[in-house]
Amino acid sequence: MNATINSSRVTLRDSIVLGTLGLRTRKTRTLLTALGIAIGIAAMISVLGITSSSEAQLKAELDALGPNLIEITPGDSFTSAEVSFPSETSKVVQRVGTVESSAAVYEVEASVRRTELIPKQQTGGMAVLAVDPELLSMIDGVVAAGRFLDSTTVGIPQVVLGSVTAERLGIISVLGSPQVYLDGTYFTVVGILENAPLAPNIDRAALIGVEVATELFDLELQPSLVYARVNEELLDDQRRFDETRSVIAASVLPNAPNEVLVSRPSDLLVARASTQDAFTGLLLGLGAVALLVGGVGIANVMVISVIERRTEIGVRRALGALRRHIRLQFVCESALLAALGGLGGVLLGAVITIAYARSQDWIISISISSLGAGLGLAIVIGSIAGLYPAARAARLDPAEAVRPRV
Amino acid sequence: MTQVKTPAVMELIGVQKSYAGNPPVEALRGIDLTINEGELIGLVGTSGSGKSTMLNIMGALDHPTEGKVRIQGQDLSALSDRQLSSLRGRRIGFIFQQFHLIAGLSLVENVATGVLYQGTSRSQRIKNGIRLLTKVGLGNRLDHLPHQLSGGEQQRVAVARALMGEPAIILADEPTGNLDSKTSEEIVKLLHQLNEDGSTIIVVTHDRELASSFPGMVTLRDGLVESDSRAQ
Repeated sequence: MNATINSSRVTLRDSIVLGTLGLRTRKTRTLLTALGIAIGIAAMISVLGITSSSEAQLKAELDALGPNLIEITPGDSFTSAEVSFPSETSKVVQRVGTVESSAAVYEVEASVRRTELIPKQQTGGMAVLAVDPELLSMIDGVVAAGRFLDSTTVGIPQVVLGSVTAERLGIISVLGSPQVYLDGTYFTVVGILENAPLAPNIDRAALIGVEVATELFDLELQPSLVYARVNEELLDDQRRFDETRSVIAASVLPNAPNEVLVSRPSDLLVARASTQDAFTGLLLGLGAVALLVGGVGIANVMVISVIERRTEIGVRRALGALRRHIRLQFVCESALLAALGGLGGVLLGAVITIAYARSQDWIISISISSLGAGLGLAIVIGSIAGLYPAARAARLDPAEAVRPRV
Repeated sequence: MTQVKTPAVMELIGVQKSYAGNPPVEALRGIDLTINEGELIGLVGTSGSGKSTMLNIMGALDHPTEGKVRIQGQDLSALSDRQLSSLRGRRIGFIFQQFHLIAGLSLVENVATGVLYQGTSRSQRIKNGIRLLTKVGLGNRLDHLPHQLSGGEQQRVAVARALMGEPAIILADEPTGNLDSKTSEEIVKLLHQLNEDGSTIIVVTHDRELASSFPGMVTLRDGLVESDSRAQ
C-alpha cells in the first residue's frame, strides 16, 4: 500500500510540455519578456561574430599578401652589446634551400626634411633607409605615384617615400619633381608608396639607393633588417618552418644564432588584432548587463504568473502533484521562456553579424560554439530566474483549489 | 504499518479542527463519520457549519487538529506531504464549484491531467481521456478549449477528470453552484449514473433540496454532525 502512496511521478518530457502552458496562454507577455534576453544574447553574439569576422578578414588579407614573408633582425646579445649583421647577410639568407628571395634594409644616419630650414631634430619619427630595388616586390608593396628605385638609378639622389612619410611631408604627387632635404643633399622624390600592411616601418621611411647612401652618408653595410620569402610549402608544415627559421639564424650568425630574430609579420599583426579587445570587452559587458536585466524581468513575470495561477497550482496539488512537480513546472516554464529569448537573440546576433560583415566586405565568421553558448547561457539564466517564483509556487497550500475566489 | 480491512472507504474519528485566532475558531468539534463503498451522500450545511473545512480534511488537503482520518484504512496523520499528494492523486477525485479546468489545455488534455502525476504514459492518458469524455457526452469535442464550453459542459469535463484516476472516493464541492437549474439536473443525473456504476461520491453543498435527492444525507451544524439519514 505504501508503494502506491509514494509514487507520484511525472516525466521530464511532461514537465517540459507543462512548462509551455503558461507561455502559450500568455503570448504577448511571453514575447515581451523573452525580448530582454534576446537583446542581451544578440548583443553578445554580434560582438563576438563581428570581432571574429574582422579577424578572419585580416587573416585572409595577410594570407593574400604573403604569409611566407619573414623578417630577420638582430636580437639581443648575452652581453647586451649591439648585435650587427655582416654585410653579406641577404645573400647568405638567400642560399638557404627553402628561401626563395631576400632583400636587405640598411638604416641611414640621416633625417628627411622638407627643406634645410627645418631643424634637424624635427624628424617627425621618419627614418631614412637604404634598400635594394627588390624590396618592393618582397613586401608586396604598391606604388601609389611615380615609380620605385631601380638598379640603374641607385647611385643618384632619388628618394621614394613611404605612405606616412609622404603624408607628413605634405607630398601627394611626384609631378614637378618635388625635392626633400636629407642632411646636406636635396633628393628628388620619384615615387610614393601605398600602405604596406606587412612592413609598417617602410610606411614611415624615406627610401634611397644603397650606393648613394654609401657615398653620401658613410653607410656601414650592416643590414638592420632582412626580408625573405620562404617556400610556400613550408606554411603547411610547422616543423619544417621552424627548421628553416633555425637554419636561417645559424647561417646569418654561425657563432651566435640565438642573437638572430626570425619572425613573421603576419603573425604579429594577427596577434595584435586579437588583443584589441578593450572595446569588445565593453560591449560584451553591456550585453551581460542586458542579460541580467532580462533575467530579472523573467523572475518578475514568473512571480506574477504564480500569483495569477494559484488555483491551477491548487488543482494540480489536488490531482496529486508533489511540491517538486510544481517547482519543476515553473522552472521549466522560466527556462523555456529564456530559451525562446536566447533563440531569438542567437538568430538576431547572427543576422547582425552577417549584415555588418557584408557591409564591410568582410569574410563572415560565426562560430557555432558561440551560438550554442549563447543559447545555453540564456537557459541557465532562465532557470536561475525561475527558482524563486517556482519555490513560491511550490509552497502554496493545496487547499487553494477549493478556496472561493471573488 | 497495520492495516485494518474494512468496507469503509473513508472514516473520520473524533475529528476536530480549530484555526488560530483570538479566540480560536473551532470549525469542527468532533466529527465521527463513515462512508462505505458505493455510497452517494449529500453533505449539507449552512455557511459556517464547517463543511468547507470538512471538504479540506476529507480531501486530504488539510490535517485535523485532533482525531483520525482513514481512507481505505490508511491513517492520513502518519503521512508526509508527499505521501498525501500522492494519495490525493490516486484515491480521491475532486469536482469543484468553479470547474477549475486548466485554460489553454484542450478538453482531452484537461481530462488526461487527472493522472498526469501518477506516471501514466501519455498515450494511455489520452486514450482514457477520450473514453471518459465520451462517457460524459463530450466525445465529439476532444480538442476544444475550456472557454469554448458552457458551464454545464465544463463541469462534465471536470467529472471526467475526477474519474481518470479511478478514485476510491469522489468529492464534489457545490458541483451545481455555478450552473442553471437545467444543467444542474444533468450533472446530478450524471453523478447518480456514476454511483450506479460503482463510484463512491460525497457531494458537499448548502442546498438541502439537492442533498436530499441523494440516497444518503448528512447534515452539519456548528462543527458537529446534526443528523445522518443513514442512521435510521
